[in-house]
Formats: sequence, structure tokens, C-alpha cells
Amino acid sequence: MTELEAGRAQTLVPVRSGAVLQRYRDVLIALIAFAVLASLPLFTGSKALLDFVIRCSAYGLFATSLNLLVGYTGLTSFGHGMFFGLGAYSFGLIMQKLGVPIPAAFVATLAITAVFATIIGAICVRLKEIYFAFVTLAFQMLIHSTILSWASFTGGDQGLRGGIPRPVFLGIDLSNHVHLYVTSCALLILGLLAMRQIAQSPFGYTLRMIRDNAARASFLGIDVWRAKLTVFVLAALFASMGGMVMALFVSGAYPEFAYWTISGEGIFINMLGGVSTFLGPMVGTVLLLLLNDTVTRFTEYHGIVLGVVILFFALGLRKGLLDFVAEWYAHRRETGEER
Amino acid sequence: MTRTRTPGISRRSTLALMGAGAMSVAAPWVARAQAKTIKIGMPTILSGRVAQLGTSSRNAVMLEVEKVNAAGGLAGRQIEMVIRDSKGQPQEAARVARELVNTDGCELVIDAEASSGAFAVHEVARDLGVFCIHTNSETSALTADPKQRIPNAFRTARQGVHDSIVGGSYAAAIAKAKGLKKWATCSPDYAYGRDTTAEFTLYLKRFAPEVEIISESWPKLFQPDYTEVVTKILQAKPQALYSCLWGGDLTSYIDQANIYAMFGQMEVFAVNMADYTALTVVKNLPKGIHSGNRYIKTFPTTPENAAWGDAYKAKFNEYPTNWSWENATAIMLMAEAAKKANSADGKKIAEVLKGLTIKCPFGADGTVTMRGDDHTLVGYAIGWGTTIPQEPYVPEVKAGDWKTIFELEAEWKKSKGYT
Repeated sequence: MTELEAGRAQTLVPVRSGAVLQRYRDVLIALIAFAVLASLPLFTGSKALLDFVIRCSAYGLFATSLNLLVGYTGLTSFGHGMFFGLGAYSFGLIMQKLGVPIPAAFVATLAITAVFATIIGAICVRLKEIYFAFVTLAFQMLIHSTILSWASFTGGDQGLRGGIPRPVFLGIDLSNHVHLYVTSCALLILGLLAMRQIAQSPFGYTLRMIRDNAARASFLGIDVWRAKLTVFVLAALFASMGGMVMALFVSGAYPEFAYWTISGEGIFINMLGGVSTFLGPMVGTVLLLLLNDTVTRFTEYHGIVLGVVILFFALGLRKGLLDFVAEWYAHRRETGEER
Repeated sequence: MTRTRTPGISRRSTLALMGAGAMSVAAPWVARAQAKTIKIGMPTILSGRVAQLGTSSRNAVMLEVEKVNAAGGLAGRQIEMVIRDSKGQPQEAARVARELVNTDGCELVIDAEASSGAFAVHEVARDLGVFCIHTNSETSALTADPKQRIPNAFRTARQGVHDSIVGGSYAAAIAKAKGLKKWATCSPDYAYGRDTTAEFTLYLKRFAPEVEIISESWPKLFQPDYTEVVTKILQAKPQALYSCLWGGDLTSYIDQANIYAMFGQMEVFAVNMADYTALTVVKNLPKGIHSGNRYIKTFPTTPENAAWGDAYKAKFNEYPTNWSWENATAIMLMAEAAKKANSADGKKIAEVLKGLTIKCPFGADGTVTMRGDDHTLVGYAIGWGTTIPQEPYVPEVKAGDWKTIFELEAEWKKSKGYT
């Protein structure tokens, strides 16, 4: 705790208890959301719906973790997709080559991602704005090229072939569609809850201060570099989780998972849903996947449709959907109070 | 940041939105397939750099499906094709394939994906147990590797190793006749380019041991400028050049190499030249480029093949591609298998398909066979010839010998540990 925070702590006791209350509320909402999602297979036999939610989990974790960087810290990463790909590949390779239990592979993948993210982050977070964006992009392309050229290990541009083995653990059989679905939902909810706690913690508010005025934060005694690096590694871990869900869904890993287009989709999701609310990226994920799935059903000119939608959000709303809704609601409430 | 603390609103509206999303996803599922028609799902690449090939796959399938439907359908059931774009992304290919089976009620799948997409769809077929024919992936491992093999998946595409054996023996014969000892290679820098080049040189050296590779160039896939590659090759002064560049890359390469008059200085072997997508696009097609056949209506030189090529041209106003014949063959095989099994059921079709030989315009001897032990197509027309600048572009094609192919393929499989 910095001196400032220590000084503030005395005056902020009521706020603290409010924060605890909010935490309980977050957990409660998470539990309800999980219960609703997990009971879905009881009401519908639609495998497509379950597939949709699994993909939402993968992309949702990825996009929300990107928002920790973009929305909360002001670090616009163009290379966040490398951790999505890294997660998918590490998990797939560990399962294929070592045949360890799934939870062990899960933890090992997170550890590998943490190591990579620390090294890459230590170099990147010293830079600002466009320089940060481009160096992250450069590292992403480095990882992508490594995957492509190290064909004997990664399968090159054909990807990891032959499927990912899924031995049963704790009675959970991930080759069973419903089990995979419930596990994905659990990972999504746990991931979102953890990220929510990060965002609402004093550390989360430190990040906002860094975003708004890094020099000021620095003068107040905050180690800006360390805070940025910490959030960079944390965000990488959740992106890696998203990658693992995706690897389980397609039963493989492909170089496209580490390509810049995945990072681009993450940015686009954040633009769609909005970066100023915590659930904005989740809304963006659902929107983008719905849009993608419905548009590709009817036309192969989906690029035009998506382009028009981007233009609508960028020029029309000038913000993400959830930002727009939140502002509209706040505005309505204000005018209501005036009356 | 007060906004994130605004009580309730963001979560509530999000949940509402998610609910609405779930409803709209579930809705089409309700509309199940009619029992009478049979739906065949087909993920392919309809946008991006290789969209032309995906479109030509779709065209060929539609051409054949019309014929099958006119003749009474697949074991009495009319075929309805559901064709979707995968954008060439494996995760999209997997998603689309699952959606086609789970939501649209497709009972059979034609996987018209390239490279990694095909492996992604293969995993879907493994997972769902749905009948699947891969029509475009030439990667040998897809069917040769026993770890990949599943009872419900087949391939009607040519296979990389077949091409290399035929190309290697053809090139070796010319190398011996003309005394071509110093060779250069120039191929795209990704798995297909690397593997195909390695296999080609392996068989070239096997048939002509005196051959030596003196220069290798690996331009990037979709590279726009080949100047440095061309000058590098010219400086090495090889007697012959091998390349497996394809499509737009091959045509830009030839247009740029023409400026340096490269084709007069060495014999060029470009396996992917004899495809209409390349032949009709090159500005000044040099005479005498050696090429393997991809699809060309003059090889095999049968009236059936010529008629098929013309019918395609008449309907779609362009010539078929390599992917076209591979997809058309899939429908022909399915139709014949369904007739034999007297059923459109995937499992029954798969049983009959093993080892099935059918009459086919693209067969080396008028027939093609779905080999039983590794579920891949054999006996298709495969050969090499030299180009001329106008139609028929490759007037004479020397056919490859399937007996040699089988022998060397078995040896290759053993060396890879597949058998």
C-alpha cells in the first residue's frame, strides 16, 4: 500500500464496506449467471447454442482481458492475440506430448504464459501509445512466425493435428459436449469474476490513474512500470485461458490463433461493446459472434456488413453499445431527478 | 471512473442482451430439415485470396448435384447443398462444420477447405461421427498417417506424394536426356511449399542421382515482388528450376521473370502451371514450361473430360480449376455409393465407398478408385507436359504410371513409419 492509500484508508472506511458489499453482489451475480448458463442444456437440446456459448467463453475471456489493458490501463495492445495462441498451443502440446491430467496442463499453460508475458511485458510496457501497440504487434508476429517455422514441434501452418486427448478428471469428461460446455461456462464466469475483482481493487484504481495521468501516478509514489507489467501479465493469463477453451472446442491449435487478426478481433469486440464498462467486451463478444454467425449464413460478403457495422458504431454511436446504453440510462436518471 | 459503478445497469442490460442472443441462435434450430431431402453441408473458402478456388469448388458441386437430382437424387432423396464461407480460418471451418451438422441438419459433409482448415473439419468429423469427404487438402498425412484415420472420413483430392513421384520421375527423364545437373528451387515458404519441394527433389535425385541443387529461394506466400528471387536464381546460373508457386503468386512470378528473359536461360518445372487460373492470367505465357496437370480439359484426352470442361465453362463462363474436379469427383462417388447401398445414410455410404471404383472423366483410365485401406483417391489423371502460349496451353501431357506411384508410395509410407 502506498502512503497515499494508507492515508486515504482512514477516511474511506464507509467506502470500504461498500466495496465489500459490492464484492458479495458480484459473486452473487456470478453464481446466478453460472446457474442460468449451466442449466441451459436441461431446457434445450440445441448443440449449436451450446457451441455458441463455448465460443463466447473463449472470445469473452480474451476480449475482457484485453479491456483490462485498453480500457482500464490505457495500453492499446495490438498483439494480445499472441497469448490466446500461446494458451491454445501450450495446452494442446502438453496434452499431446506429455499426456498429463487436464488440470495439470491447465496450470502449466498458465505458468508458461506468465513467463512469456513477463519477458515480453518487461520490454513493451516501457513504451507508450503507438510504440507500445507496435512492439506488442511485433512480438505477436514473432510468435506466429515461430509457430509456422518450427513445423516439427508445432505442426507449422497445418496446426496441431490429430486432436487433443481429453482424459477424464474428477468425473469430468471434456469429450462430452455438455461437460465441455459447463466447464467453459465455469471458466468464463470464474475468469470474469477474477477480472472484476482486479478492476475494482485498489490496484484496479491505480491502473485507472495511470491511464488518466501516468506522470501524476508516478509522482504519488506508484511504480508505474511494475503496475503496468502486473496487469499485462494478468491480462495475458486470462487471454491464455480463452485460448485453452478454444483449443478444446476445435480439438486442435492453429497458427491463425496467434495471428494479428485475432488481436484485431479483440479490439473490434471492445469497440463494439464499449471499454468504459466492465461487461462491455462481453456484450461485444456476443454481438460480434452473433453478427458473424448470422451474416455468414446468408452471404459471403460478410466483410461489407461488418464494415458497415463498424462505421455505425464508430461514426454513429461514437462509442460501444454498452457505453451508449449506460450513458443513456444515466442521462435519463439525471433528468428524472431534476423533475 | 464513476460509470463502472453505476448500480445494476450494465449487468442487467447485458444479461438481457445475452438472453436475446441465445433466443436468436436457437430459433433456426427449430426449423428442422425436411425428411425427404438430404442436406449436404459444405464449408469452403468464399472470401479472401483463394476465394476463386472456393467458388470453383461450389460451382463443380452444384453442376454434379443437378445431375444427381435430375436422376432421382441420392437413393431417392433430393440433395440440398448448404454451402458456407469459412474465410479460410480453421476455427471458423470447425464452427461452420459443426453448425451445418447440428443446426442445419446436414447428414453428410463435403469439406472443401485447404490445409489447416481440413484438419479442423477432420476433428469435427471425428467428434460428431458425421460422414465427411475432404476434397481440397493435398497434404499426404491427412489420410496416410494412421493416427488421423477415422472410418467416416475420405479424401477425393490428389495427394502431395503422388504429385512428387510423378514430377520427380518426369523431371529426371528430361534431366538425363538434356544433361541438366545444376538445379535451383523457388517455392512458397510454408508447409505445402517446403514439403512438396523436398519430396520432388527426393524423387528427382532418386531417378537422376547426378542432379545437384545449387540454389534455394523461399519467397513468402502472397509476396508481390519477386525481383530479388529472380536475380538470385539468374546469378546462380542453374540449368533447371523447380517451383511449386501457385495461383496469383505463380503468375506474378512469371510476369516478373519474363522481364529478365529467365525462361530462355533454363528449363523451368512449375508443377502448378497447367491450371486455367494460372494459364489464362499470365500476360505472356512462355513456351516450354514443364508443368504437372492440375485441371485441364485436354488431359485425359477423352471426350468425357472435354465435355465436362465445356459444360462447366458454358454454365459459369470460366474454366474449372484443380479444386473443381476434386469436388465433382466427391459427388460422383457419393452418388454411386448411395446407389449401391440403396441408402443415403452416411455409415452405409462409407461402407460401400471403401474400395469403390467408378467411371469418372478425371480417371487415368476412365475410372477412379477410393482406396479402401487409407480412404484416399487413386487412379486419377496425373501427368506432366509443356506449355504453349495459346489454347490448349498444354497440348501433350505425358501420363504418370500408377504402378510406379503405388510402389514408391508404399516405400514412402514405410519410411515415415505409417505402415
